[in-house]
Amino acid sequence: MTTARKEGYRPGLVDMAAARISREIFVNEEIYREELEKLFTRVWLFVGHESQIPKPGDYFVSGMGEESVLLCRDRASKVHVFLNSCRHRGMKVCRYDEGNTPVFTCPYHGWSYGTDGKLVGVPYFREAYHEELDKSQWGLIEVPQLCLYKGTVWACWDPTAPPFLEYLGDFDRYLDLLLDGWDGSEGGTEILGGIQKWRIPCNWKFPAENFCGDSYHNISHRSVDLVGIGPSGSGRRDMQERLMARRLQVSFYERGHQTGVYLLPKDRPTPPSYQHSSVVSEYFAHCEEERRRKRGELARLIGSPGEIFPNTALHPRQPRTIAVWHPRGVHETEVWRWYLVDKSAPAEVKDFLRDYYIRYSGPGGMTEQDDMENWNYAHAASRGTIARRYPYSYEQGLGFEVENYEWQGLRIPGTVMDITEAKSSEHNLRNLYRRWTEFMEAESWDELATWRVARAAE
Amino acid sequence: MTEPINIRLLGPGTRIVLDDGAVAEIVSNPLDGVWVFARFLSSPDDAARVGSEEMIFAQDIVEIGEAS
Repeated sequence: MTTARKEGYRPGLVDMAAARISREIFVNEEIYREELEKLFTRVWLFVGHESQIPKPGDYFVSGMGEESVLLCRDRASKVHVFLNSCRHRGMKVCRYDEGNTPVFTCPYHGWSYGTDGKLVGVPYFREAYHEELDKSQWGLIEVPQLCLYKGTVWACWDPTAPPFLEYLGDFDRYLDLLLDGWDGSEGGTEILGGIQKWRIPCNWKFPAENFCGDSYHNISHRSVDLVGIGPSGSGRRDMQERLMARRLQVSFYERGHQTGVYLLPKDRPTPPSYQHSSVVSEYFAHCEEERRRKRGELARLIGSPGEIFPNTALHPRQPRTIAVWHPRGVHETEVWRWYLVDKSAPAEVKDFLRDYYIRYSGPGGMTEQDDMENWNYAHAASRGTIARRYPYSYEQGLGFEVENYEWQGLRIPGTVMDITEAKSSEHNLRNLYRRWTEFMEAESWDELATWRVARAAE
Repeated sequence: MTEPINIRLLGPGTRIVLDDGAVAEIVSNPLDGVWVFARFLSSPDDAARVGSEEMIFAQDIVEIGEAS
C-alpha cells in the first residue's frame, strides 16, 4: 500500500515515515505541471453554490484547477458545469463573472451555445459549412460528473472517479457542520453576498495545509487576538468551548480529507457566543438548543477548519466560509472565498455576520492577512537554490494517532489525534501530503479507491 | 458595403432585412452583439423558412425595417 512506503512520489520528495517533505513540491515547475494532470483532473472540486444560480439562464464563472468553467442553470433548471472555451478556437465563451443569459456566444468567430451546452449558432452555417457541420458533436465540454450537495456544487473531470458521496466517505458529517443550518436543519445555509477573490504569491499547498488544521500557527494571529475582532468583543472568535471540549484533529487516510473538531462533554451546553449583539447571541442560543434536539449526540461536535482534498477549505463556525485555493502557476494562488449564513436568519443577524466575516477573512480581513504574509514569504524563501536543499519538518505528533477514538460515548470516524493536552499536531497536514503523494503516483482510480479493495475482500 | 448595424440596440418586434433578401422579425435579443433570435416573414431563396425561428448572425443583417 502506498501509505506504507518510506519514500513517496519520487525518492527524497515526500518521506512519510520520517515526516519530511522537500521544498521542491512547492516550487518546482515540473512537479506543478504534473499536479495539474494527475491531481486536478481526477479529484472532486468545489465550483459554487446553487443559491448563486437560482433562475434558468443564471450562470457563475468558476474554476477547476487552472481552467475556467461555467456553472449554469439551463432553461429546464438543470445545473451544468462546462469548460469555458469555445470548441472552434478555444476563446472564452463567457468573460463576465456572473449573470443571466439565453446563450453563451464566442466573441471570436461567433459560435454560440445554449445554457444546456448545445451548439446552437454557427455563423455561415448554410454558406460556409453547407449545413454539413454536425452541431451535436461540437457542444461545450461538460464535466462527466457533477454533484449537488446541500446547495453546494461539486464537479470532477474524471468519469472513473467515485461518486462525490463515496469520495467524501464519512467526512460528510464534517462538511455538514458547514452546510446545515445552525439549528441543525439540513442544508439550511445560503451564500451571503458575493464572493471574494484575490491572489497570493505562493504555491496553493501553503494555504491548503494551513486549513487542514494547522493550529501551531496561532502565534501568527496574536496581534488580531489582542485587537479583539471577535463577535463577543475579545480574541478573534469565541473559543470558550476549548475550556471543556476535547480538541481533535481528524484525518481520513484513504480519502485525504481532514479537519479539526471540538467534542463537547456529554450533557453540557454549548458555551454562549456572539455576545456583542443580544439579537445575534439569542439567535444562536436558540439555534443551538434546536440543533441539540435534532442531532442528539452528534450536536456535541463543533466545527473547526478543515479541508476536502485537495483544495477546498472549510471554516464551519466563526466565520462560516468555504474557500478554494485555485492554482495559478507554481508560484501563485488565487483564493475564492464564499461566506455562508443561515437562510432563515433574521436580517440583523446576517448583517452582523457580514461585518464580522469581512473583519476576519478575505484580503482585507485581519486574520487572513496574517496568513497571507506567512505564505507569501515562506514560498519566496523556499525558491532559492540553497533553500531547496532543505526539507520541511512535519514530525509533530508522529506516532500518536488513534483509530476508533471515542469519548463519553461518541465515536469519531477517521484517524484521530487528540491535541487537548498536546496543544498542536501536524497529523492532518501529513494526511494531505500522504494523499497528494498517492495521486502523484497512481495511474488510475483503481489504485486510489483503496476502500473498494478492502470492501471487496470482506 | 453597408454600414454595420449595432444589433444590441434592436428589440423584439424589429424587422430586419438579411443579405439574401429575407425579412425577419426579432423575437428576442441576447445582447451579445453577435446573434438575435428572429422569425422569418419572407425568404426569396427558401420559402420553407417562412414562419420558422432561427438565430440570425449580425453580419447577415443589412438593413433595419419598421417595427411591426
